[in-house]
Amino acid sequence: MADYYDELLKLCGFEDEEIEKERPRIEKSFERLGIGPEDMEMAESWVRQNHDVTLTGVRKLLGAWLKELIDVVLAKDEGKKVVYFGFPAIIGPGLMLSASSKDVLVTAPDMVLCHTMGQIFNKLTPILEAGEANGLPPGHALCSLWQVKLGGVAKGMIPVPDLALASSYSCDMGSKADDLVTAQYGIPVAYIDGVMDSHWGEYPEYLPERVQYLGTQINQALKKSGKVLDIKIAPDAWEKSQKGSQEFVNNLLRLLDLMRADPVPVTVTALELLEALSMASTGRGIQEGVKAMEILIQELEGRVKAGIGATKKGAPRVMMELGHCSDPRVTHLVEDAGLGVPLTFILAWVGGPPVKVEKTYATPGERIAAYELAAGAFHGTDAMIKRMEMATDVMKLDGFIRDYIYNCRVGALGSHCGRKYLEEKTGLPVLLLEVDIYDSRAYSAASLRTKVETFAEMLKAKKKSVMA
Amino acid sequence: MKALEKLDSHLKSRLTDLSKAKEQGRKIIGYTAGGYLPEELVLACDAIPVCFIQAGDNAILKDAGAYICRWFDPFWRSQIGYLTSGKDPYYTIVDLIVIPITDNHVRAFSNTAGYYTPEIESFVFGVPHVKDKLALEYYIHGISRLKKKLEEFTGVEITKSRLKQAIRLCNRERELFRQISLMRQSENFAVTSKDFVALNHGSFPADKEVMVEILESFVEEVKDSVPLPKDGPRILFTGSTLAKGDSKVMDIIEDTGGVVVIEEFAEGIRPYWGKVKLEGDLMANLAESYFMDRVCPGWFRPGTERLDFLIKLTRDYNVAGLIWYQLMYRESYKVESYFFPDILRKETGLNMLTLESEYDAMETGPMKTRIETFIKTIRR
Repeated sequence: MADYYDELLKLCGFEDEEIEKERPRIEKSFERLGIGPEDMEMAESWVRQNHDVTLTGVRKLLGAWLKELIDVVLAKDEGKKVVYFGFPAIIGPGLMLSASSKDVLVTAPDMVLCHTMGQIFNKLTPILEAGEANGLPPGHALCSLWQVKLGGVAKGMIPVPDLALASSYSCDMGSKADDLVTAQYGIPVAYIDGVMDSHWGEYPEYLPERVQYLGTQINQALKKSGKVLDIKIAPDAWEKSQKGSQEFVNNLLRLLDLMRADPVPVTVTALELLEALSMASTGRGIQEGVKAMEILIQELEGRVKAGIGATKKGAPRVMMELGHCSDPRVTHLVEDAGLGVPLTFILAWVGGPPVKVEKTYATPGERIAAYELAAGAFHGTDAMIKRMEMATDVMKLDGFIRDYIYNCRVGALGSHCGRKYLEEKTGLPVLLLEVDIYDSRAYSAASLRTKVETFAEMLKAKKKSVMA
Repeated sequence: MKALEKLDSHLKSRLTDLSKAKEQGRKIIGYTAGGYLPEELVLACDAIPVCFIQAGDNAILKDAGAYICRWFDPFWRSQIGYLTSGKDPYYTIVDLIVIPITDNHVRAFSNTAGYYTPEIESFVFGVPHVKDKLALEYYIHGISRLKKKLEEFTGVEITKSRLKQAIRLCNRERELFRQISLMRQSENFAVTSKDFVALNHGSFPADKEVMVEILESFVEEVKDSVPLPKDGPRILFTGSTLAKGDSKVMDIIEDTGGVVVIEEFAEGIRPYWGKVKLEGDLMANLAESYFMDRVCPGWFRPGTERLDFLIKLTRDYNVAGLIWYQLMYRESYKVESYFFPDILRKETGLNMLTLESEYDAMETGPMKTRIETFIKTIRR
């Protein structure tokens, strides 16, 4: 029997039989999240406004996020042990834990809430406010993603985890906020420490002791996790985790290949749903994501063949460093200004030159560490900027939009030097935009419009003069 | 006090002395605040260590704005401003800048030095955020790389005997600071916090041997000095950074009748509680003292060691209240300031006042009101 949420879920790619099967879980989780019939009109209109729902692949992706949300909300009720990891994360340890036991849910719940309570229901503000009231007040440039996590727990929407896996290798805020959660809820923390001590210009080289330190920290954290969760890390956990994530990466690469087309076949908000999923979920979300990608690839192949795109053919192409995680209007702003966005930084990371690790390592931790250092994002600021530079050739870009997150020190580190470096090395213009990709209350699309439109006009004029 | 006058006079001619030393071929090694660079290594290769510690002036932040966005700790933005503008000659007289990386605010400075001022060579090594055997090994790797770099850079081999001599000198300096600090545990003491901080700040650019002499004279002078009045509440003053030039909060505390009897800061106050052993593997001893034994700053995970230490200090120094002074956007301290007051109250019954600064003159009025109210409350 149909219920108030059926239409929305269908819009988000659920099949009828899936809704029937999941109905009790959907109702229980929606009740906990404070979602009722009164929210449906807004949610449907919000989804239609912000997502290209003519594409089944996009709808399925939204569904993948919703399924992840339901799993997170009900995890404890269903007898699962819950592990939260900090974002941005080296996902390998989470995938290995997930591969070791079906009774453990490993996730980044803040990202799940952003992509569902933000992107689907437009109800993120009360969660942010709860985070602000519970230890992370506004006005101090504290991480809004952490406000979401803390707010979600404080409001009882998501369960108090059994273990926090702290990303102490990159973010100071996250690990310290884990201390806060420990003080409030007594949760054990497994710290994965690392030191971002690369010298400017060192990338792609790195010191072998960095691999050893970070790798051993990962191994230790896995050991501690096994103990706290009372599970055995499966001997083949590494292989299993690789298999699942490789499938996702392969599909992402196929999609990126399609994004080379002119016009760019789909709005980058669709790919943001994908890239974020691959870094936030280790469970059902990722499996559903792979399926959604298969559909999306077929649909986009059709679009490319037919010359259909999200922007006009010949539009200037820019890399937008980060898509918005909770309010797609900010990302759309760029496309609305007439710019094609085939790439974000994270996609460039996946789609750039292949990452080569020269040495072979004995332990999973070291393998993960060596890969992450070679890939750049957890190496240092200049590594991140160089990966962006490499993206210029991948996508034939006309410019960059460096939308750095003001309240994320790791992201904001390269704000000014990144612009100078990219302009000098690529000769392309760079627009520096200060944003908060998790909370659009202060950094709304409207507040950024003038800058983006001016940049777009300049790029169009430049492209026109080159063509003439 | 004569010792302080001597320090003033030494510092007045310090830049000239450094220029002369440079002309004579000695290398000047600048390094960033935080207490993770063993100065012994610099001294052992006959180079001169100078720690960057100036801040407190909002105007320099405007200079830094050309290189980094504003959402970083103002102390570290100040370091960027001084380095790139050349407005403080200590930052540009150096031949090499050594940067122990502790958190992302320090990385902002490291990126700037590496990218914008390549004419001054820089060397970075990392400080892990947890304390265990692995982390200690990583730190040892870092300072061993530094040792090699300094030997190459100065052309002087750091032999065991040279290093031992440098450790002795630095141990003596730490011992004297400890001795002066401990005097304040008593009810009758004659050391003002301002004097103690001035000695600390002065020690960062000062010649080490001269500094030790000054500290020795200070200890002798203080023994004969009249104790300070006892009527003000005793305060523990703590935070991330107490820069040279950032005296606003200390001035207000003093003006409103509070008496700071102990300062605990990660940057700006030299770690003086430990002593480097002179037997066995000296590099391991340096690491043991500078990394493992030293009470960690707020950006360690978890931060409980420092919070427990603060509780111990409140008892050892018999304080009536704690003033927590953090700089804007230094998230580690901001987050701890939320949950620590409850722990403090539970453990000691004391109250804590949290202050936050971006080195803005406009902060003075509201800060004064808050400090006055706090002092009045704890005086009762």
